[in-house]
Amino acid sequence: MKQIMLVFGYTFRDAVKKKAFVISTVIILALILILSMLPRGIEFFSQTDDDGTQSAEKPAETQESPDDLPRCYYIDENGLIADGSRVLSEVLGGVSVTEGTEGQLDAYREEIRKDGDVSAVWITEQDGRPYLHVICKDFMSGISSGDVTDALSNACLRQELAKQGLDEKAITAVTAPLNMEVEAVGELDLTGYVLGIIFTMLMFFAIYYYGYGVAMSVATEKTSRVMETLVVSAKPSRILLGKCLAMGALGLLQFAGVILFSVICAGLFLPEGFTIMGAELSLSALTPYTVLFLLAYFVLGYSLFAMLNAVCGASVSKVEDLNSAMMPVSVIAVLSFYLGYFTTITSSENGMLQKIAMYLPFSSPFMVPSRLLNGGIGTKEMLISLGILLVSIVLLALISIRIYSASVLHYGKRQNPLKIYQRNS
Amino acid sequence: MSLKVDNLCKAFGDKIAVDHLSFQMDQPGVFGLIGTNGAGKTTTIRMILGIMRPDSGSATWNGKTISRDTLSFGYMPEERGIYMKNKVIDQLIYFGRLRGMTKEAASRSALTYLERLEVLEYKDMIAEKLSKGNQQKIQLIATLIHEPELIFLDEPFSGLDPVNTDLLSRLIRELTAEGRYIVMNSHQMSTMEEYCRDLVLLHQGKTILTGNLRQIKNSYGHTNLIVSAGQDVSGVAESCGLTLLEKRANETEYKIRGDEMANAFLRGLIEKGIYPTKFQIMEPSLNEIFIEKVGSSQ
Repeated sequence: MKQIMLVFGYTFRDAVKKKAFVISTVIILALILILSMLPRGIEFFSQTDDDGTQSAEKPAETQESPDDLPRCYYIDENGLIADGSRVLSEVLGGVSVTEGTEGQLDAYREEIRKDGDVSAVWITEQDGRPYLHVICKDFMSGISSGDVTDALSNACLRQELAKQGLDEKAITAVTAPLNMEVEAVGELDLTGYVLGIIFTMLMFFAIYYYGYGVAMSVATEKTSRVMETLVVSAKPSRILLGKCLAMGALGLLQFAGVILFSVICAGLFLPEGFTIMGAELSLSALTPYTVLFLLAYFVLGYSLFAMLNAVCGASVSKVEDLNSAMMPVSVIAVLSFYLGYFTTITSSENGMLQKIAMYLPFSSPFMVPSRLLNGGIGTKEMLISLGILLVSIVLLALISIRIYSASVLHYGKRQNPLKIYQRNS
Repeated sequence: MSLKVDNLCKAFGDKIAVDHLSFQMDQPGVFGLIGTNGAGKTTTIRMILGIMRPDSGSATWNGKTISRDTLSFGYMPEERGIYMKNKVIDQLIYFGRLRGMTKEAASRSALTYLERLEVLEYKDMIAEKLSKGNQQKIQLIATLIHEPELIFLDEPFSGLDPVNTDLLSRLIRELTAEGRYIVMNSHQMSTMEEYCRDLVLLHQGKTILTGNLRQIKNSYGHTNLIVSAGQDVSGVAESCGLTLLEKRANETEYKIRGDEMANAFLRGLIEKGIYPTKFQIMEPSLNEIFIEKVGSSQ
């Protein structure tokens, strides 16, 4: 244990002093500072504009000419929807609506094919009712067909009701949209959802960045032959554990610092009642219970991948070969991240894929924390998932230590870790 | 105290790295582990130190298997390995503490050795800023910091200038006088000849010579003759059947077959009125024995 702590201390101090760590920390903190000051900055400039104190000094804003605006051709030669062009202009704010003719349709189509800002709405008759054709370049461009359908359907309805003899007041009363309110009774709130996604991203960052740190540290010691001095003093298993612990602690320290700084910045700079997409910023999802489990998943998730990365670092004879050696672990990490991330954002239900992501040791650190913050997972499920993760780490650690011990003094052509394991078992 | 290596074997796939190696070191001093490149010297050292498992055989110190926990040993590998981006004193203390020393004891020992090897002024310097020779001294201090009983030095003199070679030579003599057991490997045969009492010569994993260096040399008898004279002696040498080995600036070395041949040569010189200023009859050098043994084993 003493040697593990010695390796831990030395590796930790060494990593903290590294330029890469200092620069990345400074950049992250600067970004947080800028982001937290942004709302106040926007507020300040909006106020000065409203007061007109600076308006006189500002150059006159250039007006966009109708030619620069996105265009929409409205073709209704039979006048099936009265006043359709005006209705369309109102609903498509910022789009110049021009009346067109059916004879020009092919020319319009050619123009639309070349320019994604141009679209057309063509009204024909089918079964005695107006039929809408929305022509646009592709599904990524053009106007919203839903908005167009809603607006013109409404105009059509008003036209029919007027024909039936209803007055304007009655028509407005009949066609007015109903008031509505969404009441969520589940535990999924915006802050928890956003925090979950952020945690998943941070988890991936930690596994990638600090895992790479472990691999690099091991590879550097091996290729610089320091390992030959180390390995006669301490067992390879102790060196491996000390290194993994040090890089993990470094990650936790950086995260803790970033979170603390974020909270301080939020308190100092964010305006009162600040909202994101209408939801007030709150950390109510972070209870001691959730923080405890988040910490457990961070530590265990990192440990799982750190063991694999250490083996990658030990398998190379040149630092330049490290990236290719890490490729299999990187692929596992990326696939696990996407599995965890998509099963989190796509559904809150517990389908088969969700269950796989929850219990698979490689994906659970990406998936469970987000579910936990959104109340989508029970304590029993989480403990099973943690248990599987823990057992996997122990098994993987035993295998990794064996491969690491055998390959750390092997130089020359890179060997297959599986063969090394078999040869030394 | 004794180091006993008994029938050590190690193979990597089809390649036999060490083949039934045995030797014993019963008293303090320097033991030579000599061999060609790829002879299995480093593998042997790793097996003795317990950082590589032998396929068969054993290495014991006072009858006990050697391990990191049971024996205080020091190992200076052939390839120098120190933390290039770290301060000299910091890493020496770290290496000392890994060998079970307290921070204070490691610091004290590091400073003592830094002074002894005349590199104390570099203690707060980043290792990469030191010259290759000074980096090597730091590596040596990392090997000796915990005052080990058994020391393995792999090519300790490579990269050292004459002044530092002399400094290291003195240190090795002092360590031997202190009662340390040193197993040394070097390609510089003159160095090995200077320090080693006993040796083992390896070639492609096999032991081709082992024993006491003096006895080995004695077994060869007088085979070399160095002569230095003011006049040309080649005619006399040729008539006496001597074989020219090397002609140097002020002397010439010949191969002889026994003392009688040397006597006949000396008589021949005197008869011609040539009185040599140097006439040295010798055993073969370790370098010659090495080349002869390796050549005959191929």
